[in-house]
Amino acid sequence: MSLNSIGYLMKEAGRSLWRNSWMALASVSTVTIALFVLAVFVVVSVNVNHVTAMLESQVEIRVFIKPHVDRRRELALMQEAKTWPGIRKIQFFTKQQAAEALKQEFPDQHTLFQLIQKSNPLFDGYNVYARAPSDIRTIAGHFARQPIVHNVVYQGTVVKRLTRLATVLKWSGWVVEALLGVATLFIIINTIRLAVFARRREIQVMRLVGATNWFIRWPFILEGLTIGLMGAVAADAAVALGYHWVLRQAAVSLPFWPMAGFQVVLLHTTVFTVIGGLVMGALASVVALHRFLRV
Amino acid sequence: MIRLEGVTKRYPNGHQGLVNISMTVHRGEFVFLVGPSGAGKSTLIRLLYGEERPTSGEIVIDQFRLNGMTWRQLPRLRRQLGIVFQDGKLLPTRTVFQNVAFAMEVVGASRKDIHKRVPQVLELVGLARRRDHYPEELSGGEQQRLGIARALVNHPSYILADEPTGNLDPETAAGIMKLFQEINRRGATVVMATHAKDLVNQMQKRVVVIEHGSIVRDDAKGVYAYES
Repeated sequence: MSLNSIGYLMKEAGRSLWRNSWMALASVSTVTIALFVLAVFVVVSVNVNHVTAMLESQVEIRVFIKPHVDRRRELALMQEAKTWPGIRKIQFFTKQQAAEALKQEFPDQHTLFQLIQKSNPLFDGYNVYARAPSDIRTIAGHFARQPIVHNVVYQGTVVKRLTRLATVLKWSGWVVEALLGVATLFIIINTIRLAVFARRREIQVMRLVGATNWFIRWPFILEGLTIGLMGAVAADAAVALGYHWVLRQAAVSLPFWPMAGFQVVLLHTTVFTVIGGLVMGALASVVALHRFLRV
Repeated sequence: MIRLEGVTKRYPNGHQGLVNISMTVHRGEFVFLVGPSGAGKSTLIRLLYGEERPTSGEIVIDQFRLNGMTWRQLPRLRRQLGIVFQDGKLLPTRTVFQNVAFAMEVVGASRKDIHKRVPQVLELVGLARRRDHYPEELSGGEQQRLGIARALVNHPSYILADEPTGNLDPETAAGIMKLFQEINRRGATVVMATHAKDLVNQMQKRVVVIEHGSIVRDDAKGVYAYES
């Protein structure tokens, strides 16, 4: 295809979008909404994966000991545990220390601390660090069988739940996205149809003088792609602003919560929305043109 | 060369088609297709530019065999043809110049070639001074000339015209006919479906008479005559 033709095609696509600017705007808006929802799912699932990955990297088990157990028995178990395979480090903490740690983690919860100080409901216990994530389950099992142990908490359960949550999110995301995608497709298809209809005379002349079908199609496909891309850019801008705000809020009110970084999230959403927008735009144009260009 | 062999076109709705048409048009010929309205003249023209396919029979134009032609090949045939209609099929939002230039743009001509060729063609059809007017500002004859200019601009070997003087007064029609004669003199083969009896008789060209979808006469220097 020559440079002349490329110039011509771009000009035609632009002209057509301009001429049907209200319909084009409606299309861009629906694409934006659909892609925004997609991007929100992406943001959430990137964050869930981020937390999961972080928890998996922390090979930590927390063992709580039943109340009113002798301090010597507690320390004896710790000594014994040190000889078990797979344990890298083990740390004893008392319930007073646990209360202190809690106070540092949630400095604003004053009523909670008053309550704890009156009668501390927390437990003594150990922080156990495994050599590898695969050891966690065995070590946790060992501790759980000890008579003085109240319960064992390790990230395994949390990780498992988070993984399950991520899967649910992913699938429900795809279902919602598919529905929105179909609705969006119809709107773009209509916009392109309108453009084709507005240019039916030109199309007729083009066919008579021997323009190739692709030459006739390209302006409309460009138009569809432009709509898709504009929707993607708008959705990304909204997500960027939104996530930036969320990060700032989270830094204040959820400081202990590990949020996925701004750039990582934006990279993911951009890839998804741009590909999604272009695919929707192109698909809609091809569908809209299909019947028109049968010779 | 255009060659039709046993071409039959049947329409499912019973509309008059063509029955077993065989004819050959050599390069440089000027052929009139005449006959009553609805005899199949337009159908024949549409078959020639591949807008419709024959039910049976064979159509060959130069190296193009129209029967098995795919929609990919069709544009290459069409670039050899200049097609003129009664209604011109002009683009109302484009000027005279742009209407003609459009036909070149969409087959990928360069801007330079367009600016060289379009004025030549407008000069030939006598619209050079109307280049910046819009089709609705032109008279019927001028509109028809514009349609012809567009058909000519890509140097086609064949001109197919369907009732090109259909709604013009006799004097204007004669001018248009002269233009076709000039185009033919410059080497293009012309096939024209028409009702313009006096003009056909004046021109002394080949006349093919079609009635009820069949060729009933084919005279080298014929006259416009058929039983209606």
